[in-house]
Amino acid sequence: MKMAWKEMKKNKVRFLILGSIVFLVSLLTFMISGLANGLSQDNAALIKKLPEGKIYMTKEADQTYNLSSIDKNLQESILTKHPHASAFSIQMGFLNDFNGKQRSVAFVTSTDSKLFKNVTRGEVILDRSLEESGIKIGDTLTNNQLNGKLKVKGFVEESKFSHAPVAYINMKDYQEMYRVHDMQLLFIPGEGPKQEFAGLQSFSKNEFLQTISSYKAEQMSLNMIIWFLVAISGMLFAIFFYMMNVQKIGLYGILKAIGVKTMTLFQMMWTQMLFITVLAISISAVISQVFNMAAPKGVPFHLTLETTGLLSLVFLLIGFIGATFSGIQIKKVEPLQAIQQGEV
Amino acid sequence: MALFTMEEIRKSFTNGEVKEEILKGVNLSLSEGEITALVGASGSGKSTLLTIAAGLQPASDGRVLFEGKNLTKFSAEQVRKIRAEKFGFVFQFAHLVSFLTVEEQLMLMLDVAESKKNKREQKKEIHQILKLVGMDHRKNAYPSSLSGGEKQRVAIARAIIHKPKVLFADEPTASLDSKRSKDVMTLILNVTRTLNITTLMVTHDEEMLPFADHIIKMSDGQVLQS
Ligand SMILES: Nc1ncnc2c1ncn2[C@@H]1O[C@H](COP(=O)(O)OP(=O)(O)OP(=O)(O)O)[C@@H](O)[C@H]1O
Ligand SMILES: [Mg+2]
Repeated sequence: MKMAWKEMKKNKVRFLILGSIVFLVSLLTFMISGLANGLSQDNAALIKKLPEGKIYMTKEADQTYNLSSIDKNLQESILTKHPHASAFSIQMGFLNDFNGKQRSVAFVTSTDSKLFKNVTRGEVILDRSLEESGIKIGDTLTNNQLNGKLKVKGFVEESKFSHAPVAYINMKDYQEMYRVHDMQLLFIPGEGPKQEFAGLQSFSKNEFLQTISSYKAEQMSLNMIIWFLVAISGMLFAIFFYMMNVQKIGLYGILKAIGVKTMTLFQMMWTQMLFITVLAISISAVISQVFNMAAPKGVPFHLTLETTGLLSLVFLLIGFIGATFSGIQIKKVEPLQAIQQGEV
Repeated sequence: MALFTMEEIRKSFTNGEVKEEILKGVNLSLSEGEITALVGASGSGKSTLLTIAAGLQPASDGRVLFEGKNLTKFSAEQVRKIRAEKFGFVFQFAHLVSFLTVEEQLMLMLDVAESKKNKREQKKEIHQILKLVGMDHRKNAYPSSLSGGEKQRVAIARAIIHKPKVLFADEPTASLDSKRSKDVMTLILNVTRTLNITTLMVTHDEEMLPFADHIIKMSDGQVLQS
């Protein structure tokens, strides 16, 4: 008989409270996770969007990309050997629009490559977010270290670095602005193992991102919050089911006295836990996905279905463990206790 | 031969340092289909003896024989199975499941006893038993809306719905007034006679004794006369 279901029907409020707590905690976790991902996109979409491959910088740079400066000859020899590879540089800087309004951008320039945008001298391609803030194709922008002007040629999606929109400029303009002739980084696409080049250190995309200390710190704190929430929700499950079970000790005793198996009592609890959790998580998953689609462009929010699914599974598992852990008392209940305790 | 026998049952509890012997070698046997009343002063060990008989707690020493088998040698799961299928219980309080209707309480008991009958036959059976205890008209009520006497009648129905061999009752009328006590006792008498159930019943109430076929008096952990 469906005792689990009958009990929930009769004690709706009690289970509703449990359900709403699971709902709130999981929603919070989904939102923070979406935010963490969004910020990480905002911080590193330029790198994350690259295909699988390795990034190289000089060993002397000691993992600080803007100190790296790759020797021209070495770069030439590598680029001839790997036709799909590309050398590129990144520098944070500013662009002024015709009103003189200053915008913080990440200047990126690269050798001829499909992986990055290439423009001729005096042109710039910008991240789409700048279009939303009022810049149009054909506008001319200036930079105080550059004599000429930069004409906006177009926009690209999701090109951000260090929370700033990327501005792809020509190598000559870049060299004039930053007075350097060597490139900082090399990217060689492909899934193979790392290759060794004299004086260069190789990084996977993720390893490279970890060298950027602000990225690392940001992601670490956000991930910590997520796992804290998951751990807290596990404890909440355990505590809540514990309290419910304590209230039900008399019931368990009497059911055991008439011969109900302990396993049946556990199954009853698991059914209730599963029902509540699945329902609560589904609602919060839907809400967070709707938010993902409807969130204003300025809010860095990015929540994939995979992440949602993974977190949901973790929640289910944690709920199961929490409930089972608190259910150990069910095993300990003596039928006699309940009978002698009087009316339940 | 007796259906149910207890031989040299001893039970002691340790309260801190002191070990106290509550049952000091009790012998007792129940004849099939009859009601045996267990009486005695408070603290003489009646409930302890009854719960040992019903397999709700183990004895420290001695044998409990039911249908020729020694229950003290059974595993916890075997004892549970016996309790579920062969025993019925009524206590001072009804101990009904708060979130099940009267009908569902009985359905649960049939489930626990692993009744092989289909849903329709089960419902018919429940209907019959509820009529027997006069609670048929309240079959969709929850325990919270029943009076004490009504709850106890449902508890009796639950105790016998699966046609147990033995009914154990510990002061089943203690929470009821004199008139209702008589009603409930008459009911127990009728159903156990109808279904040929053997009954062991603890009672404080002198007025209940005429209903019993045998009376066993306990004093200080021992049986005085039988
Ligand atoms: N679990 C236990 N631990 C310690 N002592 C116990 C335990 N159960 C019962 N006793 C003691 O055993 C004695 C007999 O108890 P029992 O409940 O069998 O008496 P009783 O004859 O049913 O009394 P009453 O008529 O008041 O119900 C009492 O002194 C009681 O304190
Ligand atoms: Mg007693």
